[in-house]
Amino acid sequence: MLSYIVRRLFLILPTLFGVTVVSFCIMQLAPGDPLLMQLGATGLAGQGTQTREAYLLQKRDLKLDRPLILNLRYSLDHFQAVRQAAHFLMADESEIARQLNLLAKSPNDPENRAALRFLRGLGIPRFRQRLADARERPRLAKAVAAYARVYCEDVGVHGVPPLIDLLRRRDIDPHEKIGVIHALNAMVVQPFVYTYSYPPKDADTAKVVGAWRQWWRRAEPLTRRLSDERRAELTAHFRGMLELDRAALFEELDYIDPADTRFYIETLLSSTSLHERAVAAMALRRLVRNPLRLDVPPDAPRELIEEVADNWLVHYDLNRTLYEPPLWQRCLYCFTDTQYAHMVWRLVTFQFGRSATKTREFVATKIWNAVLVSAPLMLMAEVVIYLIAIPAGIAAAVYRNTWIDRWITFKLFLLYSIPPFVAGMLLLLFFCYGDYLKWFPMLGLHSPNADSYAWGRYLLDYLWHAFLPVVCLSLFSLAGLAMYSRTAMLDVVSQDYIRTARAKGLSESKVILKHALRNALIPILTLFSSFLPALLGGSVLVEYIFGIHGMGRLSWESIEQKDYPTLMALIYIDAIVVLLSILLTDILYTVVDPRISFGTQDGQA
Amino acid sequence: MSRRDGYLDIVWSQFRKNTAAYIALWLLVPLFCLAIFAPALASSVPFFYYDGHKILWPWFRALLNPEETVDFWFNMALVAFVPWVVAGVIADRAWRRRGMGKWARMSRVAALYICLIVLASGMMTVPGIRPDNRYRARTFPEEQFRNEKNVVAFYPPIPFGPTEQDIESSVKPPMYRKPRFVTNPEGQEVLNWRKSNDGFPHILGTDDVGRDVFVRMLYGLRISLTVGFVAVGIYITIGVVLGAIAGYFGGAVDIVISRVIEVVILFPSFFLILTLVGLLGQSIYIIMVVIGVTGWPTIARLIRGEVLKQRAIDYVQAARAMGASHSRIIFRHILPNAISPALVAAPFGIAGAIITEAGLSLLGFGVRLPAPSWGLILRTGSENYHYWWLVVFPSLAIFVTVTVFNLVGSGLRDAMDPRLRT
Repeated sequence: MLSYIVRRLFLILPTLFGVTVVSFCIMQLAPGDPLLMQLGATGLAGQGTQTREAYLLQKRDLKLDRPLILNLRYSLDHFQAVRQAAHFLMADESEIARQLNLLAKSPNDPENRAALRFLRGLGIPRFRQRLADARERPRLAKAVAAYARVYCEDVGVHGVPPLIDLLRRRDIDPHEKIGVIHALNAMVVQPFVYTYSYPPKDADTAKVVGAWRQWWRRAEPLTRRLSDERRAELTAHFRGMLELDRAALFEELDYIDPADTRFYIETLLSSTSLHERAVAAMALRRLVRNPLRLDVPPDAPRELIEEVADNWLVHYDLNRTLYEPPLWQRCLYCFTDTQYAHMVWRLVTFQFGRSATKTREFVATKIWNAVLVSAPLMLMAEVVIYLIAIPAGIAAAVYRNTWIDRWITFKLFLLYSIPPFVAGMLLLLFFCYGDYLKWFPMLGLHSPNADSYAWGRYLLDYLWHAFLPVVCLSLFSLAGLAMYSRTAMLDVVSQDYIRTARAKGLSESKVILKHALRNALIPILTLFSSFLPALLGGSVLVEYIFGIHGMGRLSWESIEQKDYPTLMALIYIDAIVVLLSILLTDILYTVVDPRISFGTQDGQA
Repeated sequence: MSRRDGYLDIVWSQFRKNTAAYIALWLLVPLFCLAIFAPALASSVPFFYYDGHKILWPWFRALLNPEETVDFWFNMALVAFVPWVVAGVIADRAWRRRGMGKWARMSRVAALYICLIVLASGMMTVPGIRPDNRYRARTFPEEQFRNEKNVVAFYPPIPFGPTEQDIESSVKPPMYRKPRFVTNPEGQEVLNWRKSNDGFPHILGTDDVGRDVFVRMLYGLRISLTVGFVAVGIYITIGVVLGAIAGYFGGAVDIVISRVIEVVILFPSFFLILTLVGLLGQSIYIIMVVIGVTGWPTIARLIRGEVLKQRAIDYVQAARAMGASHSRIIFRHILPNAISPALVAAPFGIAGAIITEAGLSLLGFGVRLPAPSWGLILRTGSENYHYWWLVVFPSLAIFVTVTVFNLVGSGLRDAMDPRLRT
């Protein structure tokens, strides 16, 4: 028995692998970018920086910028392409148009050839024809600027090391450095971390302190010195701040004085306590709006370019492990840093992340809330089904070929032919809308002011609202289960041991209830495998009609809003629940019926 | 029952004992006739139209150039119907004289119809044969109404089209007839009719933009039946082939196919269909393919079990000893004995596919407006339950169709189940 269970559990693994493959294929079927879908028709080039940054963050959050199943980007050389991208990001559109003219005139020049290769690789629609057409070139220039930026965003971390190499060089034109800095800005979102995440972790220290140290190098000469009294005062005050909880601390930080900046930066740089550093970093973040400049205008003076370039070099040093992973890690990344691997990891660890809708709720919360709505409904429906269907089926079998059997079978057959949503709409029409009867409410599971009710009334209100949905949910499956139990009972009734029981003079009720029923229940047990999934699954159509925000509604909405993280999680959870309940049913089977044992059979899993 | 009775004769004699299923089987005939003859029953295009100078035949041109491709197949069936009846009767007599069995003749006559439909559709692709729909832009009822004196026109019994809108008579109850005169704000009586078919009652009312519900349901029957048959055809084909391969070859093939079956079964089917349709786009063909692609595992499982059973019987050994190839053994020897579970599942599957299509359309993931579909009518009805006819009649249509197919299915199941055979 145990070995059977273990074997079944092992067989689950390839199935789960198949499930992830199917889910991944579904995800890839999505037309276009799911995130762009959400950002709407603002278009690629026309987005404001805010939306653009949010989009990039989300894309990297979901690892959608990675290759699908094999990541070779760490071993590719991006230098030439990235340099070209930086070159085109430096120029404005009229400049690009002028260069395009040159490119079109002499495409075989070695330098131009490299530029052309890069431009062709960008995937601009109809690039060749448009380059050949002189009137198209100004518009093509606009496209080139946008696509070069998108190229940088897609290359991401892999483009940073060659760009940093360019920045380090003394021999390049400061003007070209502007392009490099633009490209870096496109590749890296939020390069510096100025405060600790909450709760503070020691791993952040290097980055936070490094960022502030870089700022302090420039800012120190401009900052006021502090007298000893003031310093003592501040130390006492700071000690008080350490005791506060998070909300109070935020409030307290509103009252700190910009003149005391020197105290906080010294605390941050010299303190050994993690908590002190965290508070000091928060205070500094409040005092200094814009610590490190990372972007430059196209006509920046040389000093500014040097300052920003220096900031980027510091960023690179602080994040060196990210940009230059050791060899073994690069090999590992070939298979683990891909969209598929990340998706599998998210599914396996049940870290579904945030949904792709505007609210960015956690997928797990969303699903849990939906389960809380639909599970009680489905539970009631299932109980109703089992309470009605099994007795009905057994009665039909016991009174086989009498009017009772025919009546039950006929009624069940009619029920089986009414789809739940049709039944729901007809019930709503006749019992809720009010043209005929107005016995039940139209939508929802609670009255608008249900929260103020006492629990008894709340429960009654809930049952009143839930009555029709439960009826709808039960109708369809009722017939199937009853038919099934009728067949099961018929099978048992024709067995020899029932004849034996009758022959030895047992009363009919005893024969049926004690000998037949218990054996007839065994095949019915198999249907329990649909019990759990139904409990979690909900019904899309019934919930749609009755305006219930349960699992079915959630799945429908996530499809409609192209909310892939939620969709994947729903599909995956459903699959796992079905898988486990099938296993559970098999185990239950052996427990109930000692004649069946899987341990002795071979290969019949 | 004589000794010469074949398997089908036994099944048929069993089937006939089940009165309800027998009636349902015969109900399929009017159901199909309604679908095939829908344009002859209801259309706003007249059969012929005499405008005072010459006679036009717009109905025939519209028949050969429908807007929806589903309509095209059914129209071809309509075109091929009379030739089929004639050819079928003649061929049937010839075959009977040659002593061919009842079932062979029946299947050949059915195949003849399909051949004729394919032939007719093929002819339509030959340039020059299909007449163009040059009256597409003309609204004949309106033209006729404008110069009523000279025009002679002959319409189908219900002179409304499935997509013909009339905002003035939107959401009107059954048997609504547009009043001839209305009183305008100044108190004068003015003529309200605009078209020659305005005086005809809308038998089952109209929907939110004034389309006739009965006509839309009639054309919706075409979509429902197409979805049902094509989707089930797809998944029975996939299921039978994969199931037979898995059961016959066993070993690694069986393990792989069984895993695939398990994986597809794990996904809740309606949810999977909804997801795929939401991602791939809404078209009736995508819906059919998606239902087909998600439905095959149950069939494959049944067939696999049956083939496993059959493989152990001696005749397979005999066939192999005679040098038959694997495909011949599977498809000529084993499958005829193993296919009955798939045949039993087919009518239930058709009913299920019809329900699924209606559900998808109700959610807004199904066929697109203005294509007529029962689910879309229900969707309009679900927006305001005051218009009860938009809920009751499509529900009734779904219920009747589904019941008919379920009855046939249950009859078939009982007839093919050897345990119940007497």
